[in-house]
Amino acid sequence: MSTAAMETYSERTAAPPRARRRLGTSRHWTTLAKFAGGFAIVMIYIPLVWLAVMSFTANPLSGVPYPLTLQNYATLFADTRWRPPLNTSLLMSAGVALVCMVLSTLVGRALTRMPRPGASLLLVLMPLFVPGLTMGAALFIFLRTMLNLTLGLWSIFLAQLVWALPFCILLVLVVASRFDLRLLDAAEDLGASPWRRFWDIEMPILRPGILGSGIFGFLLSFNELPRSLFVRGIETTMPIYNWAMAASQQSQVPIIFSLTTILLAVTLPVMGAFFWVLFVKLDKN
Amino acid sequence: MAAILDHQEVGPRRPFLQRALDRLAPSKLMVPGFLLAWSLLVIVPLVVIVLFSFLQVRQFRVVYEPTLATWLSLIDSGRWMAVVRTLRIAITLTILEFLLAFPFALWLAKGCRSKTFKAAVITLLTIPFFLDAASRIIVWRSILGTNGAINTALVWLGVVDQPVEWLLYSEFAVHFGLLGTHFPTMVFPIFMSIALIDDDFIQASSDLGGSPAQTLFNVIVPLALPGIVAGVVFTLVPLMAAFVEPQLLGGGFVDLLGNSVNSALQQLKYPTAAALSTLVILLLGICLAALILVARRRTDIAAMFVAMRR
Repeated sequence: MSTAAMETYSERTAAPPRARRRLGTSRHWTTLAKFAGGFAIVMIYIPLVWLAVMSFTANPLSGVPYPLTLQNYATLFADTRWRPPLNTSLLMSAGVALVCMVLSTLVGRALTRMPRPGASLLLVLMPLFVPGLTMGAALFIFLRTMLNLTLGLWSIFLAQLVWALPFCILLVLVVASRFDLRLLDAAEDLGASPWRRFWDIEMPILRPGILGSGIFGFLLSFNELPRSLFVRGIETTMPIYNWAMAASQQSQVPIIFSLTTILLAVTLPVMGAFFWVLFVKLDKN
Repeated sequence: MAAILDHQEVGPRRPFLQRALDRLAPSKLMVPGFLLAWSLLVIVPLVVIVLFSFLQVRQFRVVYEPTLATWLSLIDSGRWMAVVRTLRIAITLTILEFLLAFPFALWLAKGCRSKTFKAAVITLLTIPFFLDAASRIIVWRSILGTNGAINTALVWLGVVDQPVEWLLYSEFAVHFGLLGTHFPTMVFPIFMSIALIDDDFIQASSDLGGSPAQTLFNVIVPLALPGIVAGVVFTLVPLMAAFVEPQLLGGGFVDLLGNSVNSALQQLKYPTAAALSTLVILLLGICLAALILVARRRTDIAAMFVAMRR
């Protein structure tokens, strides 16, 4: 340590205890940080609010929320073209959610028992590093052009699974990695069968993670666009329908506005409550 | 003794179904079997697409003969302009997102004292992952368009005489649309890695006379580096293949890699789509290599779980 530094150091220690200068609490930076985050969050939520407002106006793509009308909703309920895609999406998402719950439980708990899960985990999480469009194009060329298969609901299902499963496994891993494996040894010593050990001891602890992965799987699959778009064959899901309507500049746009508003009105409170419970609970533990 | 053990293992006449279930319990084949199927679904298509860019399609049949024709036509047809534009927009936005996200993540992890507020912000940032892209983005048209909300307000207030044209169907609009969508992927990894840093390190640094700037650059940034790299990767990767925003807000003026892949597939130019996707994978590989290089020195994946548990 140089003399100058020594001097500064002794000066500082000798100085009367000043207000703690902590990072993240200095005034200007805090204001700036809050502003940056607030700006980004507003950028995320403005379209949603505006979407809901404009769905009640005569021409949603004009910028003025006037005159107010329920015409779009009337048109929406008179129209039937959006119903098959919605039904397909609901069924598909339920299926993806179910498979995600089972697979993420099996793989998640097996991964926590591995001595070195790093490489396996990276492989499982691989789809998170691949852009959706690339994955969709790759699956299309592999399944359709290379293997000559007829694409349809099954390929949409696989494509959505590739997207949703890594998240679900992560969720189960978070819960499973907190599970003390010695509890199972104790149960074994006490004579519990493997199935009882799983169902009575492991399952209650894993349940939030499994339930969460079901909800994650459903939501991720329900809104998945870039992968299903390419491997859809002749099938149409809700996001594909929305995309086709939005991209082709058709007169259907007002319908998307009211339809999405209804879907948001249903899903936003559910998601909000779910994540709230998830994060507050995780925080408490 | 052996007899007792035997008795315990076979079990006293449990029903057949239960015994069958017992045999299903944690099997050593579970992970390898799953990984094999997973590789078939994830890795093989990615390898195929790279190989496919060196093939050609003649009369709807794949000709299995290596050729550079696709790559050469890619350079000739000027599609590489889309690559340059994509890189420029993706890097610009990644930098923008980082500038917005880093201070916010730092404040959220270390400055914010209210746990409720923290949970609320995390909830707000998680929800966008589960929203439909097309309907969210098309709303910007009614905000940015020539007779959209902003222009109407500007003309009514007398700020401008004519509606501002460049707000929609321009690179500006595309940037605008992409900004909100890709913010959470940058915040979360940085937030987690900063939350992991022990408060004592920061305290020690300031006790030893470090200014906030010194603490930031000598303590926090190096320790948060894995999170920063992860945030950059998770933001840059989807940006490289964005296609919804440029198509809906670019109005045909902003052709990015994602749109090129999309249109190439629609025109049945499979090798071209494969070559363009290969470019994306190549860039992704470089990012991943950088991530692993940095992350291996600093931390391991196990630490990620510790971060999540907090």
